[in-house]
Amino acid sequence: MAAPRRRSLWSCCGHGWSWATRCCRVPGLCSSRTWGPLGAWPLSQQKRAAETHFGFETVPEEEKGGKVYQVFENVAKKYDVMNDMMSLGIHRVWKDLLIWKMHPLPGTQLLDVAGGTGDIAFRFLNYVQAQHQRKQKRQLRAQQNLSWEEIAKKYQKEEDPLGGSLVMVCDINREMLKVGKQKAMDQGYRAGLSWVLGDAEELPFDDDKFDVYTIAFGIRNVTHIDQALQEAHRVLKPGGQFLCLEFSQVDNPFVSRFYDLYSFQVIPVLGEVIAGDWKSYQYLVESIRKFPNQEEFKEMIEDAGFQKVTYESLTKGIVAIHSGFKF
Amino acid sequence: MAAMLSAVCSRLAWAPRAPRTVWALTRRCLQAPGPRSCAKQSERAEEPPRTFHPSLLEFLVCPLSKKPLRYEASTNELINEELGIAYPIIDGIPNMIPQAARTMHQKKKQEEVEQH
Repeated sequence: MAAPRRRSLWSCCGHGWSWATRCCRVPGLCSSRTWGPLGAWPLSQQKRAAETHFGFETVPEEEKGGKVYQVFENVAKKYDVMNDMMSLGIHRVWKDLLIWKMHPLPGTQLLDVAGGTGDIAFRFLNYVQAQHQRKQKRQLRAQQNLSWEEIAKKYQKEEDPLGGSLVMVCDINREMLKVGKQKAMDQGYRAGLSWVLGDAEELPFDDDKFDVYTIAFGIRNVTHIDQALQEAHRVLKPGGQFLCLEFSQVDNPFVSRFYDLYSFQVIPVLGEVIAGDWKSYQYLVESIRKFPNQEEFKEMIEDAGFQKVTYESLTKGIVAIHSGFKF
Repeated sequence: MAAMLSAVCSRLAWAPRAPRTVWALTRRCLQAPGPRSCAKQSERAEEPPRTFHPSLLEFLVCPLSKKPLRYEASTNELINEELGIAYPIIDGIPNMIPQAARTMHQKKKQEEVEQH
């Protein structure tokens, strides 16, 4: 009786741990051994063969990082074009909403993790520069009766157009950073922007350094999401904000059907036609399905030590912005 | 008046050929960018600075020990003296991935081997 159940569990393990535990709750099935993702093996053996998901595949944890690296190495050059095609340009609105939710003031220090091609960083710099200019205009309007000496002094002082703001773009993939750096040069972003090749699970930054930490469409590719969240908590200053823009679960079943159809039938085809890479886009679409939903991810963020964790679903839940604070 | 008419006629006669020349021009433009755009492209290709800004050192630490690093201009690396490892800087982007770090002892051994 146990054998066929065990086989079904084995076939289930490709679809994740939660499914296996659900099978395990069937009465009469649980023996003295604990059930893990590899079936009825003792826990010690499970720990040695720790596996995780790579899209709908199950791969050893050590391999996931390398596989994800290859995916983004292949898609780097066409990343922005593909984003526009796949989301029909809506990704720009999502990223704008992330920055508006942040409301950064001039002088904010932002760490953008997995921010390879710099979309969030450039938006941040634009926003902060506009805020700084507005502040200066307001100051000018308030000071109408300046003497000539004061006016001359204002011209002599070389003011930082960003008001002391800084953004550090950190990504694990060199190709994505190269594309981002080239875009920065082409679009004329020079000041207040730095590029670092680093791992989100082991950030090369000291504690309590940044005002805001953002990770847009990157955290689902990290092998150990909890470690990345802990690192985020570490590098943020007390009072700092954690913001995550990521694909999430659609709440409306009607939209969900169209979304699934579009994701699995259209996106890999677009990937093949435009970027010449079906597999990478298949992975990207599958990885979205594997990522926890809004509530589960909110709990993970709270476990990392963040407080006042909230989320906002966008476009019927296709995307969600999670926000948390370090106190 | 006649001169004007003849000029107009000659222009009209030329007109059917115009699309062909326009097409040839556009093909040339697409295939071989002109010298000005070439220069701009080469400038753009050179523009990403290969230098590392030491101001980054205020933020960067070793991802393993979280201790400050020292910038070594000669080898273009960030060095953690305590652990004896060096992180390379390629194209102005410091590579802070622990697997990419080079241990200094290996380098010293290599230098000794080269000397002998």
